[in-house]
Amino acid sequence: MDRSLAFLILFVSLMAGVVSEGQAAETVWSGLVIAENVAQPQAVPPELTRIEGALKKFFGYNQFQVIGQSEKTLKTGQEDWLATSKFFGLHVDAQGESAAGYVLNLKLYKEKELLLETDAKLSKRSPLVIKGPQVGSGQLLLVLVIQ
Amino acid sequence: MKTFEEKWTAWLDGQLSGRELSEFEASLPDKAAAEIEKADAKKLGALLKSELRAPALTNEEFFSHQLRERIVRESSVPSVEREAKASTWWTIPRLLWTGIASLAVFLIFTVFVIRDKNPAEESQYLTQILNARVDPVVSPNATVSMFEVKQDRVTVLWTEGLQSLPADYAAK
Repeated sequence: MDRSLAFLILFVSLMAGVVSEGQAAETVWSGLVIAENVAQPQAVPPELTRIEGALKKFFGYNQFQVIGQSEKTLKTGQEDWLATSKFFGLHVDAQGESAAGYVLNLKLYKEKELLLETDAKLSKRSPLVIKGPQVGSGQLLLVLVIQ
Repeated sequence: MKTFEEKWTAWLDGQLSGRELSEFEASLPDKAAAEIEKADAKKLGALLKSELRAPALTNEEFFSHQLRERIVRESSVPSVEREAKASTWWTIPRLLWTGIASLAVFLIFTVFVIRDKNPAEESQYLTQILNARVDPVVSPNATVSMFEVKQDRVTVLWTEGLQSLPADYAAK
């Protein structure tokens, strides 16, 4: 009897967890990042810690600095937002949610000039990194992560 | 007409009476010896009664007795009927082999299912770039390519040939 009750409670808790996970609002972090090679690199921002290894491996830089960022909590999956720095702007337009993630339209502006546009299905478990233009000795990267 | 032996047994048991008793006692050649023999017979009877009583069974003896009786009963059942009752396909070795075979089939199916399912699952969990374009006026030689790094679960949109910008553009 006790054991059955324990199983029932566990089952209900698990189901509740699954349901709440499915319905929880999620936050998308969007960042404009300048990657550079410097003699004394600063620590990687916490938002990028998760993909620090991948960034260093693919782009070959040792320092990553966030020059603009935005955090948006998605409730309907239809929101849009802007992450900006002094000269760049990343406009993100969410166009729906699926089990795997969100369909996003991304536009990178240099001031008012559209440099790059892409549509992506951003997975909840897989960050997106876009290599932007060369800026001085560094590289502009656009990073989107579902937190 | 009773024989002498019958009368003698009846006399020892004290079952003769009346005229029959007096006639039989008169016919005895040595009454005193007969009386002694009668007394001995009575003693012997009493002794046998007291010593040869059925012994009470203890628990262990009782159960072993029951067991023996059951074995005897069952062994009296015809052997063909007994074999028919006892024989079953699910012997221990067969059960063992059936278990192993089921496990093997399960593993084979699992491997196939996982192998078939993995690519879809991986692509589901990796971010996908649906399309990408650059402004051909601003960056006429730009190209875009996309790849997924499954090990790190990172999707990269790689651009080449975008217009380079001065370091001032790295300002916050």
